[in-house]
Amino acid sequence: MAATLAGAPARPRRLLASRRTRAGILYALPAVIYLLALFVYPIFSTLLLSVKDLDGALTLHWYADALTGVNLSVLFTTLRIAAETALFSLVIGFLLANAISRLRPLVAALAMLIVVVPHFISALVRTYGWIIMLGDKGLVNQLLISLGAAGAPYQLLYNEIGVVIGTTAMMLPYTVLLLYGVMRGVDRRLLAAAASMGAGRVTIFRRIYLPLVAPGLATAGLLSFILALGYYITPALMGGPNQTMIASLINQQVMKQNQWNGAAAEGVILLLLTFAGLLLVKLVSSLGEAKKRSAS
Amino acid sequence: MMELRSTLAGRIALTAFATVVLLFLALPIVVIVVTSFSKSAFASFPPDSWSLGWYETLFADGSKWPGALSLSALIASLSTVFSLIIGVTAATALTRSELPLRSAVYALVLGPLIIPHIVTALGLFLLFEPASMLGSPLAIALGHTVMASPIAVMILVATLRGIDERLEDAAASMGAGRLTIARRITFPLAAPGMVAAAIFSFITSFDDFYVSQFLSSVGTLTLPVQIYNSLMFDIDPSVTAISALLIAFAILALVLVGLVRWLGSGRQNALLSVETATALGAPGKETP
Repeated sequence: MAATLAGAPARPRRLLASRRTRAGILYALPAVIYLLALFVYPIFSTLLLSVKDLDGALTLHWYADALTGVNLSVLFTTLRIAAETALFSLVIGFLLANAISRLRPLVAALAMLIVVVPHFISALVRTYGWIIMLGDKGLVNQLLISLGAAGAPYQLLYNEIGVVIGTTAMMLPYTVLLLYGVMRGVDRRLLAAAASMGAGRVTIFRRIYLPLVAPGLATAGLLSFILALGYYITPALMGGPNQTMIASLINQQVMKQNQWNGAAAEGVILLLLTFAGLLLVKLVSSLGEAKKRSAS
Repeated sequence: MMELRSTLAGRIALTAFATVVLLFLALPIVVIVVTSFSKSAFASFPPDSWSLGWYETLFADGSKWPGALSLSALIASLSTVFSLIIGVTAATALTRSELPLRSAVYALVLGPLIIPHIVTALGLFLLFEPASMLGSPLAIALGHTVMASPIAVMILVATLRGIDERLEDAAASMGAGRLTIARRITFPLAAPGMVAAAIFSFITSFDDFYVSQFLSSVGTLTLPVQIYNSLMFDIDPSVTAISALLIAFAILALVLVGLVRWLGSGRQNALLSVETATALGAPGKETP
């Protein structure tokens, strides 16, 4: 913009800029007002509610509540399930994205379609599909028994195995998409250069490929961890009472116990955990950028 | 030689693993569709006998599904309209103006994607409960718009960035007013993006569970809440049929998005080749 107008006289240029600025503010207003009223203000009032007692006095006792007894174990369960989900979707996502990135473009596009299309189908519906698949007479148990890998059906539902299988399947599209993008961005010439200098496959993978995709790996893992933290559809449907997560607890406290303040405190804790995760993502990506710059 | 063999084995193992994972990602969806045509839901796969029974119960007297379906469709339509208004204006501000605090506005607009949905839903509950608006389809639609508008903004920002601004400049230089430019140039080129934004807003609202769960009341349970309740408390076999319908809708919507994108991609290229050849010529294409 500045370059093309450099020759123009100063006055009209300022006038033009200010008209563009005014138009920008005008056009931005609907979104800004809407989100301030229905997104920022509600979260702000959640924050406020979490530090107020029933009589309106300031208190931290909802947080004390959230961090003791059953509620504390729900917090640990949430962190554990989110971590397990992140780990599995990262490992499976890495191998899957790697395999897809080696395929011919058309086949790769088809494979990515199989990864991405389920993402647009309701999570509830997909969870239901997994429940049918993992039941005592479901496809997985039938397969295991017919292969001779199991004598009796495995209990794959209403425990942590079911939850981790289900939530991993829900998070996988995110990790695969992210990692596939990172892997496609890796300059193959670097790998070829290393090979031409006599590096073996393992060395190339460990010394060149892995460092190049590492920031993407960290981001993908953290992303699925963050997403899993606030999730409860699949854990509620595929888990048992021992797999209750924070989001589910918030729902119970509001709907069944009318404990809005407690729910608000749990919400703020979830929010803080999410921000901590995002901060880590930011840190990792800036470290990655720095590394890339120093390498080139 | 040995290294070659080991990499070949590794590659085969990796491909086999990927195939199994892809199969497992697709299978739950296939299984639902197949089971929905079975006589007995749930029991076994593949089914022993086939019928359309679950589709009949779906629309039988006293069924909760038609009501939930039309409520969700109404809410999703409202939310789509709101999201498009927000999306079009915000994307225009972000791509076609000099906006002060631009990155702050962008962060605000995309915020709902980052904040856990349950927290946003709780906040909306705290907003609408005192106003006695729980159970109001309008309140639910307003809530869904918070979740859907970031996606609309993202798609429309990408769309507007993809439109060559030289086309708009060229029209202006030929004396077209701003409305004419919007109507004759920008809108036709942005239309495929707007259709995509509308479809994704609709899907987001239609599938939303967290906001609906908090904002609905006994009389107004959206489809996802009904499905959740049905799966959680009383597995009602007709849930397979409604799930299969939702799968069909989602795939149809995605095909539609693909089709619109494909049809739209030719348009700008045609316009550009004509315009650049005549009016714009070289000046726009400054070589560094």
